[in-house]
Parts: sequence; C-alpha cells; structure tokens
Amino acid sequence: MRDNKKVFILIESILAMMLALLVVRMFWEKNGEGRYRVSVVVQDSDSSQWSAFQYGLRMAAEDLDIELTIVSTGVTLTQEEEKELIEAEIDNGAKAIIVQPVPGAEEMLKKMEKKVPVMLAESAASQEGGASSLPVTRPDNYKLGAALAEGLLEDFGGNLEGKVVGVLSGDTGSEASASRSRGLREALERAGAKIRWPVFGSFTENGENSLRALDGVDVVAALDNGSLVAAGKYSAANDLHGALVYGIGNSTEAAYYLDTDAIRCLVVPDGFQMGYQSLTELAKSLDGYFYQAKSQVVPFTSLRRETLFLKENQDILFTMSQ
Amino acid sequence: MRNKLFRYLKKPELSGIQSTIMVVFSVVSLSMLLILGVVMYIRFSASARQEIISSTQKLMEQAGEYLEDYLVSMRRVSDSIYYNVIKQNDFADQNKDVQQGMNLLYEANRDNLRSIAVYNEYGSLMAAEPVVSQKEDPDITKQGWYEHAMEEVENMHFSTPHIQNLFDDASFRYYWVISLSRVVEYTDKGTPQSGVLLVDMDYSGIARMMKKINTSGNGQYFYLCDSNGQIIYHTRQIQINNGIASENSGQAARYKDGVYDEYFEGEHRKVIVNTISYTGWKLVGVIPYPVFTYGMFNIRYFFGIFMLLMAMMLVYVNRMVSVSISRPILKLNASVMEYEAGETPEIYIGGSQEIRHLGYSIQTSYEQIDKLMKEIVREQNERRKSELDALQSQINPHFLYNALDSIIWMVEDGRNDDAAFMISELAKLFRISLSKGRTIITVKDELRHANSYMNIQKIRYKNAFSVFFDIDPAIEACCTVKLILQPILENAINYGMSGMEGCGEVRVVGRQENGEILLSVLDNGMGMAEEEVSLILADSNRKPSHGSGVGIINVCKRIQILFGKEYGLTIKSEPDEGTEVSIRIPAIPYTEENRKILEKGHMFGKEV
Repeated sequence: MRDNKKVFILIESILAMMLALLVVRMFWEKNGEGRYRVSVVVQDSDSSQWSAFQYGLRMAAEDLDIELTIVSTGVTLTQEEEKELIEAEIDNGAKAIIVQPVPGAEEMLKKMEKKVPVMLAESAASQEGGASSLPVTRPDNYKLGAALAEGLLEDFGGNLEGKVVGVLSGDTGSEASASRSRGLREALERAGAKIRWPVFGSFTENGENSLRALDGVDVVAALDNGSLVAAGKYSAANDLHGALVYGIGNSTEAAYYLDTDAIRCLVVPDGFQMGYQSLTELAKSLDGYFYQAKSQVVPFTSLRRETLFLKENQDILFTMSQ
Repeated sequence: MRNKLFRYLKKPELSGIQSTIMVVFSVVSLSMLLILGVVMYIRFSASARQEIISSTQKLMEQAGEYLEDYLVSMRRVSDSIYYNVIKQNDFADQNKDVQQGMNLLYEANRDNLRSIAVYNEYGSLMAAEPVVSQKEDPDITKQGWYEHAMEEVENMHFSTPHIQNLFDDASFRYYWVISLSRVVEYTDKGTPQSGVLLVDMDYSGIARMMKKINTSGNGQYFYLCDSNGQIIYHTRQIQINNGIASENSGQAARYKDGVYDEYFEGEHRKVIVNTISYTGWKLVGVIPYPVFTYGMFNIRYFFGIFMLLMAMMLVYVNRMVSVSISRPILKLNASVMEYEAGETPEIYIGGSQEIRHLGYSIQTSYEQIDKLMKEIVREQNERRKSELDALQSQINPHFLYNALDSIIWMVEDGRNDDAAFMISELAKLFRISLSKGRTIITVKDELRHANSYMNIQKIRYKNAFSVFFDIDPAIEACCTVKLILQPILENAINYGMSGMEGCGEVRVVGRQENGEILLSVLDNGMGMAEEEVSLILADSNRKPSHGSGVGIINVCKRIQILFGKEYGLTIKSEPDEGTEVSIRIPAIPYTEENRKILEKGHMFGKEV
C-alpha cells in the first residue's frame, strides 16, 4: 500500500512538472523571447550604396524572423566610434553584430566576437584578408578589381600601352580597397597601362575640388561607390578632360551615370546577397550553439549601358532602388 | 543484468488489488481522455483549417476585386486618353490640346501612374505626360510592351513589372512600372496613323496593395503572377530570382480558380487561386500546412495543460476509487494473514455489502475451525484417557483373581488373621487404585499402594522374598501416574523371585535427580540376557510367560502419554545377578491444579 502511494505521488509529481514546463514554455513563447535581435553597423548607413545590402538584410530578417537594427552612422566612422556603437548595441540586447570593419579594427572586433557572434560585411578586418579569424561576407574583392580591369581592357582591345589610368578609392586602409586595387593594378600592368595618380581619400565637397585639380588621364578607375559617383559626376559635367570612367559601385547614382554614358562600365557587387547571406549565416550560429559562422563570397556583375536594362539585370536596379 | 531484466519481464510479480484497479482505471480513463482529446483536436483543427481557407478566400476575393478595380481604372484612363484625347485631336494642329488632355488625366490619376506616352509606328514619341526629356535612343520598338501591342492590335496588354527606361528626370531613380499598351489610331495632319498608347502604372501601387494582404506573419502569403506564371509580385521576389527561394507559379498559372493541395519543395500546402479578369493574372494565396497549426500553438498549449490537469485529476480520482474499493479487502486480507500467522485477531468486517459478507463468512469459518480443533483435541484427550483407563483396567482382574484365590486359600486353611490382613491390604490397594477415578496421585500413595501389593504378595508367596523401601521423603509430595510400581513389582516377583527359596530380595528406591524423580525396583533374582531386556520395551505384543499378563510396556506407555516421550522406563539386568527397573518421571509438585493439567493431557511446557 505504501508502494502504491509512492507511485501515486511520483505520477502526480511528474504530471505537475510537465504542467509547469508547459505553462512556462507557453508564457515564454507568448513573450516572444525567442526572437533574436541583430544590429548592423556600416559606415554612412544612409547612403544609397547600402540600399541593396539593407534590403537583403530586411528580407533575411523577415524570412528568419529576426529583429534587425540598422545603426545610423555618419559619412566617416572611426575605430573608436565603431567600438562604441557596437558596445552600445550589445548593451541594448543585440545577440549578434554585422559590421563593416573600419581599418585597424580587427583586434577590437575579435574582442567583441567573444561577447556575441560578429559577421563582417564587404571587407575583411585585416588587409591580408584571409588571415582574419572573423567570418566575412563579401565579394571577392581581388576579382572585383580584376573584373573592372577586364571591362576596361575590352574597350581598349586588350592593349593599354601608353594609356594613363587614374585610380580612385574612398578609403585607404580597408582590405576591400587593397584587394580591389591589387586586382586592378596587376591586370592593368600586364596590359601595359601606366597608373598615374592613385588617389585615396573621401570625395566629399573638398575631395571634388581635388579631383578637378588632377592632371588629365585617359581612364579613371574608381574602386568604390563613392569615388565612382564622384567621378561620374565629373564626367557628366565634362570635368575629367575626356577621361573614361570605369568603376565599382552599387547605387542608383552609379547606375544613372552608366545609363547616361558618364561611366563606361560598372561592376556591381551583389549587395542583396551580401545582406541576405551575412544575416542567414549569422542566424545559423545563433541557432546552433556549436556552429561557427563561415565566410561567404557573393557574386558581382559587370554592367554596360547596353546591358543595364536587360531582364536579368533589372533585379540589381530593383534592389538598389529599395 | 540483461538476464535479470528478462527474468523480471518474464515473471512479473503479482500486483496488489489496489494497484491493479488503479492501473486499469488510469489506463482506461487516460486512453479515453487521449482518444477524446485527439478526436476533438482533429475536429477542431479541421474546422480551424476550413476557417483559415474560407477567410483566405474571402480576403483574396476582396483583394482581387480591388486589383480588378485598379486595373479597370487604368484601362479607363487608357480609354479616356484614346477616345477623348487622341481620337478627338489632330497631333499636328492640336498638339497642345492633346497634351492638355493627357495632363488632365495624368494629374487625376498621378498616384497610380508613372507616365502616359504615345508613340508612332516607328517608335518615335508623339506626346508624353509628365513632360520630361526622353532618353537617348531608348529603342522603343524593341521594348516588350510595344511588341505585344503591335502583335495583337485589338487588345490592351498588361506587361510584367519592369524598369521604365524611357525618360530621364535626373533624379537618379529608376521606377518599376507595369505597362498597359494598346495600338491606337491617331490623326496627324489629317492623315490617320497608327501608333501605340502607353500607360505606365506605378508598380508601387500594386506592391502596396499586395503588402497589405501579406501581413499575416505566420507563413501564409499571396503572390501575383501572369497567365504564363511570370511573377508580378511576390514577397520573396528577389530571393526567387537569386535562386535562394522558389515558387510554383508555373503550376499556379495553369490552375483554375479554386483551392488546391500541393506538394512543393518538400512542403505540403494549400494553394488558393483567384483569376483577375481581363488580364488573366492569377492572385495566388499559399497556405503551408504548418500555418494551420501556427495560430494553434496557444490552443495546443491550452489543450496540453487541460489534458495534464485532467490526467492529474483522473489519477487522483482513480486512486481514491481504488483505495475505497481495495481498503476493506486489504484490511480483510491483513486480518486473515494475521490469523494464518497464528494470532487470533478479530476478522475485519467493513466496506461494501459483499466484503462485509465475505468477512462474516471468513469469521464464521474460522470460528467453526476453532471449534472443530478444540473438539478434535478434546476427543483426542478422551481417547488417550480411555486408552489409559483401558491400560489401567488391564491390571485389576488378574491381580484380584490371584489375591482372592490367596484369601480363599488362607480361609480354608484357617489362617483367619492372615486373611484379614490380606483383605485389609487389598482394601488399601483398591482404595488407592480407585483414587476417586484420578490418574495422577502422589508418589507417597503410589508407594503405599506398592507396599500393600507387596504385603499381599508376600502372604501369597509365603514370605519367599523380602521387600525394602528406600525412599527420599522429598519425592513423596510429587505427582506420579498411579499403579506404575505394581506391574514392575509383579514382574520382579514373577520372574526374579521364582526359585529363590527365601533369599529373594526386592528393593524399592526413590530419589530426586535434576528435577526428576527416579523410582527403581531392584531384585536379586535370576536376571535376563541383554537381548531379552531389549525386547521387553520394544515389543508391545509380546505375551508374558506368566504373571499379570499386562507387561511392563504398559507402564512405560502410560508414563509417556502423560509426561512425554523422554520419560519412561529403563531396564538393566545381568543373568544370575538380578534386574533393575527404573522409572523416570518429572518432579512436579502435587497440587490440584497440576493434577488437572496433567490429567487433561497437557504436559508441562510441551505441546500436546
């Protein structure tokens, strides 16, 4: 009889425990605590160059039911500012961070990764790129530079002997800029081109003046969207002394200058994929405790004025316009 | 370990009535609860599923009507431009009126329109609203909307969404439009010409409308495709174009209006199709099966909680019921077990009528068994007593015959004093023999009886032997079975004294040793061989050659009947030396109580 009582108490206890678990789980789900919050820190977040990237992030966030916060940032972002922004986001409950690393931020980001998963976007944290232990979602920046050179060579029949090429880059120390530059230079030098004035720096109002003051060159190759839009603007205004503009960009402004023939060739990294894949990969590491987020390589497309409105390229303009 | 487990499985222990009742009740009630719950859940799910499908259909009907209204309004714009503006004016002379008419219609619908334009059959722009510069060489005749219009001149054509590549408003923006194109006839310098009227609808209008119905957030979604399955709007359009996601729009385009079950990309789903009139577009609602349970998570939890609470309550109620049923049975069983263990508890009588009846029956049975047992014991005692009495009664006729014979002989011989003495001794002997019917007497009386007997025998045998009594006075007040010395003395006389011719001697010795009384009869007669001694106590059927005929074995039996098997007689004898017969009995003080106990057959400290 005593055994029966023990079994009875045991059964009732198990049922009570199951009941308690169910109630706790119900309230837990009701409060929606299972939803992750991921913050995104990129330089000049309101720039149209991030439209496709942010659209990709938003789509991934919808698909994966993730709360997304895109941190508003200024045109320039220092390492210290980036650190403060990331820390503030973590303090505010961000479970993971997607960040465009500013040059020299590798050590700081590695420390951050110990707190929450970190995914780099567009560029690796170190100039060596592959040596970085942090996962990165980016286009193959070297190939991007090489593709730009290829577009250029197509127009010149593969021979750039005696041609002077001016290279523009918005930043000086990022892996993306270095790899693109290397890819471009190696291809151009093989074709016999001479790189006259590599210009690095921001092409804001002050920068524009500096462009106008530069010597005439045959070709201007812009390695990032900001430089390309600036060069396109100069080209449209005939301020580049007839130099042809080629560049890497991912904004509607860049597409517009291509459409109006101010730019001859536009290489567009797939910003949508960069946003979508970076968040998808990060979500995997949030869902799987032992899963380490891996680096992702996104595709890119070379556009000419004639191919800009082809059906297969319309999505690029669509995502840029979001 | 494994063998133990198998053994346990093969030979389950018999479970108690309470656990059996509880397990059976619990299993039955929980099974019923589960079956009922599952059936209810299935019914509820089916009804909820039907409800979701119905509400989705209604939503799609409303959205379809709204979309149709929107497209009809666009067609009306196109008709108005064509019939009220283009047909009514000559492009050469009344270009201003044309522009004004187009402007009026554009302004009236500018929320939904991106541009209105008229092209001639060579693709040259005739008029456009709003007035912005046309791009250089947009190659109109190669554009899809233009080609479709030219292919079927009698129809209006709705294109799939595309980027408008016609005008340059210097805003660095690219607009997604759906083009409504038709061939028109216009008058230029009085000459009818054909051209194409293009009304570019702002895609964002349709996108906004579709977004409004795509807000469930539970996995259910709606998309729009044309009659070829080309997607016009989809929440995951870019993912589909990038190969990240996929959609079964080709199949949906082939469906007629209705609800379909579909298995696509490893997922079961319901597909609801609603055709938009005139365009042939399909508004498709997709409900993946998990959506049917999405909103039911809370219901599931409530259901689970309800089931668990019910289970807890059922287990409790079942226990109460099983306890109330089994408790009287268990109590009854416990009292029966106590009874079986030798105790004499009251048999439990309680619980339901049947169990009370059972208790009464068992109690009656046990009482009857008790009564029968006592009866058996009593009968056994009586049987033993009668046996004892029979043994004792075996002595009397022989001895009496011999004594009376001696008295007759003495009377005839004129020895009256001797005869009187003998009769007196005989009277003493019989008085003790009778002892008011008692079997247990004092040792003293027994010795007195032995003395009387020996006196009688001495007269009969003419003092051929002498008798000596050497008795410890302490034993005289103890209990003994009556008439145990006499048969031994008789044997001593009959077997030991014959042929002794006056030198025979019989000694009766009484001692107490270790709580026992030892009464010995020693004679100096002819004695016996060892083999003969061993036969005396072993063979009860042995017939003595002379004497009383009772035999010494009867004495031994009587002692053992009353005092136990460890007591009785021992015989030592040597041929030509003599014989010693010893009686060993326990030293029990003679009291009335002890006498009664012994006579009832209860040996001291021993079971009967």
